[in-house]
Amino acid sequence: MSSLIEPIHSKNPLGDDGILFVRNDSIFDTMVKTPLLVASMIIVAALLPIQSSFSSPRDLDLIIYPDGSTHVSTEIDVDPLLTDYKVNLFGSTIDNLVVIGDSGFLLDADVIDDTALIQTFGSSVITMEYDIHDLVSKQGKLWTFSLDSPSDFTLLLPQNSAIVGMTNLPINMEIINDQNQLTLSSGKTEIDYFFSTNNITNPTVETETDYFSYVIVGGIIIVILIGTTIFVRNKQNNLNSVKYSQTSQKNNIFDLETIFKLKPDLREDDKELVKFIFNNNGEALESELRKKFLQPRTTMWRAVKRLEREGVIEIEKKDLQNLVKLRKNMEEEQ
Amino acid sequence: MKKLALLAIIVLIFGTISPSLTNQAYAQNDPSILLRIATQADKQIVNQLNNVYSNQIPNNIEILYDKGHTAVKSLDESLTNNDIEKAKQDFLVAMNSFMQISRTISQSSEKVVVTVTSNITNQKISNELDRLEKYVKTLESISKRHNDIAQNSGEFTKAYSLIKEIRNQIVTGENLSKNINELKILVDSIKNDMRKSAAEKQSNAIKRFFERLIDQIDQKVMEIKDSEYDQTDIEKAKELILEIRELLSKNQINSAKIVYSELKVILQNIGISVRLA
Repeated sequence: MSSLIEPIHSKNPLGDDGILFVRNDSIFDTMVKTPLLVASMIIVAALLPIQSSFSSPRDLDLIIYPDGSTHVSTEIDVDPLLTDYKVNLFGSTIDNLVVIGDSGFLLDADVIDDTALIQTFGSSVITMEYDIHDLVSKQGKLWTFSLDSPSDFTLLLPQNSAIVGMTNLPINMEIINDQNQLTLSSGKTEIDYFFSTNNITNPTVETETDYFSYVIVGGIIIVILIGTTIFVRNKQNNLNSVKYSQTSQKNNIFDLETIFKLKPDLREDDKELVKFIFNNNGEALESELRKKFLQPRTTMWRAVKRLEREGVIEIEKKDLQNLVKLRKNMEEEQ
Repeated sequence: MKKLALLAIIVLIFGTISPSLTNQAYAQNDPSILLRIATQADKQIVNQLNNVYSNQIPNNIEILYDKGHTAVKSLDESLTNNDIEKAKQDFLVAMNSFMQISRTISQSSEKVVVTVTSNITNQKISNELDRLEKYVKTLESISKRHNDIAQNSGEFTKAYSLIKEIRNQIVTGENLSKNINELKILVDSIKNDMRKSAAEKQSNAIKRFFERLIDQIDQKVMEIKDSEYDQTDIEKAKELILEIRELLSKNQINSAKIVYSELKVILQNIGISVRLA
């Protein structure tokens, strides 16, 4: 392409057809100021996510009770420069509404039909929990859940429920306490389910589970064997190093008081997390923390990250989940 | 410079579209769940058909079932062949067929939106109690976070013992209405106490926010030219601003909020934004 472009001051004579070639190297720079363009792109790119994030839930979890009522917990980004914020609820029969601001305090909310006016006064994130009776209908023995969701969401179905129809592709499915939990994408979703009296088993799943459990058991046995061999060898060959290791472990023993003394600025809710992890043998899965403290996923994730930044805990991956462990070398770091 | 600009633009474009790419990838993380759901639905439909029709399944339902069952088989094959797009189509065809069957089976019954009805069964009460217990636990966890638990612990203990008592009453078949009403009143009172406590603890922050906002609104109201809007609205807005300032100076935040809601309506009429600048 560039080889076809000739500068106007080229020494080559004009062709017979008299075409005038124009130097265009600097057109881009001349017509559009590059820094201006880049700056505008950055501003647009920065504003797009902010604009789309306000009013759209960043987390939406639903639990259906056996009587068809549904518990909704959601976390929403709101404009911190407004005094109040209007949230569209998923229906008008609302019970047990709790709204919490980002400081963790209860916020006042007025429910009018299917909207809630929340007095946010500077909060940038609000967490809402409520029970709703409009999402599930029943015809004969068939229960139908319908929702037009503004974002992806998780749906925990009641125990012994069997899905017999759905309009959307699920993103994921997990079994939690013998209950199916589906992750579904935004938009309209309808799910039909029956309460099953027969315990339906899925041969594919069973085969997979059995195979998987054999692999796990085999893996554990191998790890134990290797561990025992290494341990015996180390014990025989290097008794002194074991003694040293025991001494250093003793030095690492800490208690809650020490942690709180070392980290006096920890938030009260973070201290509760630390206490729970401490009493749970010094480690807990992030999902366990969520269940214990009834916190949405992102709120708990932020709390865990905060503690990690403070150097109180460390996060490890275990079976695709976050395992939160109290750090043993906090004192040394201080 | 041009190269740098081009690079920046590419990075920005990629940054903008990358979240959607991630979502699409996530949607396909474990396609085998589709087969698990469809197989379970297939078996459940067979159970329902056997219960309702025994061996005399109507022709239209049989056609639908064959369609659904064939789609489940095809879904299995598609997954074996790693043809995810076909698997998705098969899943939707199967679940749609099963949905039509289950709705046809249930059509004879009247459709009911699940609401709180007067026909209270033990199951309903038990579920209502589960919901109330979850509500109490949520309030308790908020209370713990702000060290209000000491002043509310007696109330929470009372709530839990009432829940336990009601659960026992469900088993023995006693009259529950008195205890359920008592529990609801107690939970409302806990929430009100917590709200008051939160308002007190947050009063300084809210007051500062309010004062800044009122200053800005006042400035905007002053800048309005008299001829532009209804003079009554402007005068009323000025009065309310004064009233809010007075209430804030007396630390009467809740009263200030009430007056502010009145002011907001007028500001909307005048066309003034109530967003803090």
